[in-house]
Amino acid sequence: MSLRLFKRISLALGLGAATLTLSACDGVSVGVGYGYDPFYDSMLWNDYYRRDVNVGINPPDRPNRPDRPTRPDRPKPPVAKPPARPKPPTARPPAARPPIHRPSPRR
Amino acid sequence: MRLFSGPILAACAAVWLGGAGSAMADTPATYTEDGRALFSFNVPDFWLLRTGGPREIEDTELGDPRAVARVMGLRPVTDDTVWMGFVSPAGVATIQDGIRYLQDIDKFLVNDPTVTSTSDTRIGGLPARVFRGTGRRDGTGLSFTATVIDLPSNRVAIAVAILRDGANPDYADDLNDVFASFRSRQ
Repeated sequence: MSLRLFKRISLALGLGAATLTLSACDGVSVGVGYGYDPFYDSMLWNDYYRRDVNVGINPPDRPNRPDRPTRPDRPKPPVAKPPARPKPPTARPPAARPPIHRPSPRR
Repeated sequence: MRLFSGPILAACAAVWLGGAGSAMADTPATYTEDGRALFSFNVPDFWLLRTGGPREIEDTELGDPRAVARVMGLRPVTDDTVWMGFVSPAGVATIQDGIRYLQDIDKFLVNDPTVTSTSDTRIGGLPARVFRGTGRRDGTGLSFTATVIDLPSNRVAIAVAILRDGANPDYADDLNDVFASFRSRQ
């Protein structure tokens, strides 16, 4: 009985290990993608990423970029508190009372 | 019939299927401009084709806008040691103009290019000038093949194939297959 159990466990563990081992051979992704493609960019006549290339064009004389203005301080909130909310009026409207005189009942 | 015995039939079928398979496996790609087909070539199996389109690129520092024609780039899916690109720049009409265009872009493609051989040949039935040489890029050596192919109707196709040092030499066959499949579509 214990031999049978041992066989079963070894089969299960062995299959699991084999699955993991085999799946490791299969890459997660199919290839490295097109993230960095230097030759394509170069064939675009594109020197954005390459400052070591003399393109034969001198940069035009331009004034230097002005310094970024310093950001003004944030306005502080006023110290005084805003006025309190208006309260409801104290006086209440008079309660409605039933009329004192009633029509006399029919005779 | 003895001629069509089992093993022979199987061998014939394998050759037939294999031949048909390899002949049909490639993926034709056509380079067009404004809806007009200029040329076509076959993308090898398990290669990536990246295509762009006409646009203007401006250098942020120089402020020098340049019109860029469509560039088609090819490389194996799992390997970036090999690269091949096609471009047909507008306004470049002859092989001499194409050579001048190549001289303008070669310094971007390859550092310190050294041309080792120049030859005139025919690619896809069209006259072509081929430059082979070596250079460096990103710290590694490479060998390149730059080709100017004279298309009819005053255009050229410029093909650049690059093999970095250490690339699998079998990829040269793929590159040659691409050149062999080059056809004008005009």
